Amino acid sequence: MIEVTDLRKDFGAVQAVRGVTFSAPDGRITGLLGPNGAGKSTTLRIVSTVLKPGAGAVRVDGVDVLADPGAARLALGVLPHQSGLYPRLTARENIRYFGELNGLTGAALARRVDELVEMLEIGEFADRPAKGFSQGQKIKVALARALVHSPRNLVLDEPTNGLDVMATRALRALIRKLKDAGHCVLFSSHVMQEVAALCDSIVIIAEGRIVARGTVDEIRRQTGEQDLEEAFVKAVLSNQEAAA
Amino acid sequence: MMRKFFTVFRKEAIDNLRDRRTLFTVLFFGPLFGPLFYTMMMNTVINRQIADLDQPLKLAVVHAERAPGLMDFFRQHNVVIEAAPADPQDAVRTGRRDVVLSVPADYAAAFGDGRPAPLQLVMDKSREKAQKDVERARDLLDNYSRSIATLRLLARGVDPRAGEPLAIEEADVSTPQSRAVLLLGMMPYFFLFAAILGAFYLAIDTTAGERERGSLEPLLTTAAPRGTLVAGKLAAVTLFSAVSLGLDVAALVWCQRFIPAAKVGIALDFSAATALATFLVCAPFCLFIAALLSVVASFTKSYKEAQTWLSFIMILPLVPVLGMILYPVEPAWWMMLFPSLSQDVLVTSLIKGEPLKGSFVALSVLSTLAAGAVLSFVADWLYRREQILG
Repeated sequence: MIEVTDLRKDFGAVQAVRGVTFSAPDGRITGLLGPNGAGKSTTLRIVSTVLKPGAGAVRVDGVDVLADPGAARLALGVLPHQSGLYPRLTARENIRYFGELNGLTGAALARRVDELVEMLEIGEFADRPAKGFSQGQKIKVALARALVHSPRNLVLDEPTNGLDVMATRALRALIRKLKDAGHCVLFSSHVMQEVAALCDSIVIIAEGRIVARGTVDEIRRQTGEQDLEEAFVKAVLSNQEAAA
Repeated sequence: MMRKFFTVFRKEAIDNLRDRRTLFTVLFFGPLFGPLFYTMMMNTVINRQIADLDQPLKLAVVHAERAPGLMDFFRQHNVVIEAAPADPQDAVRTGRRDVVLSVPADYAAAFGDGRPAPLQLVMDKSREKAQKDVERARDLLDNYSRSIATLRLLARGVDPRAGEPLAIEEADVSTPQSRAVLLLGMMPYFFLFAAILGAFYLAIDTTAGERERGSLEPLLTTAAPRGTLVAGKLAAVTLFSAVSLGLDVAALVWCQRFIPAAKVGIALDFSAATALATFLVCAPFCLFIAALLSVVASFTKSYKEAQTWLSFIMILPLVPVLGMILYPVEPAWWMMLFPSLSQDVLVTSLIKGEPLKGSFVALSVLSTLAAGAVLSFVADWLYRREQILG
């Protein structure tokens, strides 16, 4: 469970996030949808504790990320915008490293790594250096790395970026599997179809503010548009008009 | 806590051992450049010196027949008289001859009358290589002049010592070991250089490189405390620096046997014990330079930018060392406060075979470690700021 309350963040004169509130419950996939530069990544980076909020609060399983970042990090698995693997380490070594940093050791760590290698179908390239991996292989390993300490909550920043159709489908299936296992999945995208195909609830964000929220059907109703893309464009534009 | 520290340390060490450029720099270029360059340079210098002393001086003389006495004197003193070129000035200017002696027509007459007999020595003072021969010719002429003067005074019944009002005796108190400093003066520079090169790529890879690869952000989402991450990284950089330094010191022990120093009366004795002392004296510098380079690299935006900055920063610790070569001053306690300068002074003493002052060593170790600790805290602080993500 991830709860975000009235989150704000400035970078100098730029107000990246201006009062974002939502919650992503367990066992559901929550999609953060918005155009480029809307503040999605900034919001997710605050949730994943690498940025500090200017104002507002983030709670992960009830733990305030500012008050106890260590506990919040243990409850979070993060797949950042770039996969960020170590190119000279093998897939297995990449996963192990993060496992150890999150406090796993010995047989438990070895078991968990094997488990993930099997679950994410990494076996074929598990012992090759990450340097030559395809985008799809990289995402798989980065996801395994995010899951290594069995966190209840998952934060995925545009995970399907640069993936081909087959890899995207495989990733979607995987995310659904994680949801069914009771994980809270929060992910961002600027692709409508992506969000529509996957999410139980959607938060549309533009210029640092939430402009619409709900299930796909609810958003269609709110905007009076049948086509989700039209609904998205309408929501974003109405926000710009309100600001102007 | 300790376990995670070792996890980071081990990962950075293994990760970087797989990088060929880093490996080459730490194991070969850093440690071997100094001693090999040095051995080759010294061999060339010493061999040329020895060769020049043994070789007869080849002297071209214009109108040698006008000064038969002088020519005899020359031949007794290992000089081979050669036929002069047609245009002596041109021959010297173009470098075909190092030095040419010309005997004017009125030499014999002036010599016979007891007047100063004119001689012309054609030389090119701007040619470094020719100066050895010019000097030898000049010295021989001075000797000849003095011995003739002595003979003339004797012939006139004057004590020749009247012409030498001063009797100067040179007392050289240098020991064969202290003369070694002339040869080894550059070595402290190479030791510190090796330590810096050992740290160079790792300092970049673990900071700016990590950020550029995009692995820093996920790393910071792990439950490992930031201080532990920084400590593990710094430990790995320090280790690589120390390995490069250790190999450099060992390489010099091995290389010195190939320097024919004894032939010029110098005792090169960089023993294993001296090498160990040198390593221990310089070891704190490894932590200092690891922290310094890491902090600077943390500020940069990319691997390339970090390389540019570090190439500049790595010169800084070498400035006082070069200063000591150009303007040697006596060791003083305040020098112990500066990393790199203090190591330079102490290692120079070690090479000279002088006993080290305990207080100096302690001050050097403490001040260098303290500077390293301050920089480590700066690195730690940098990693707590969100700007570290760039």
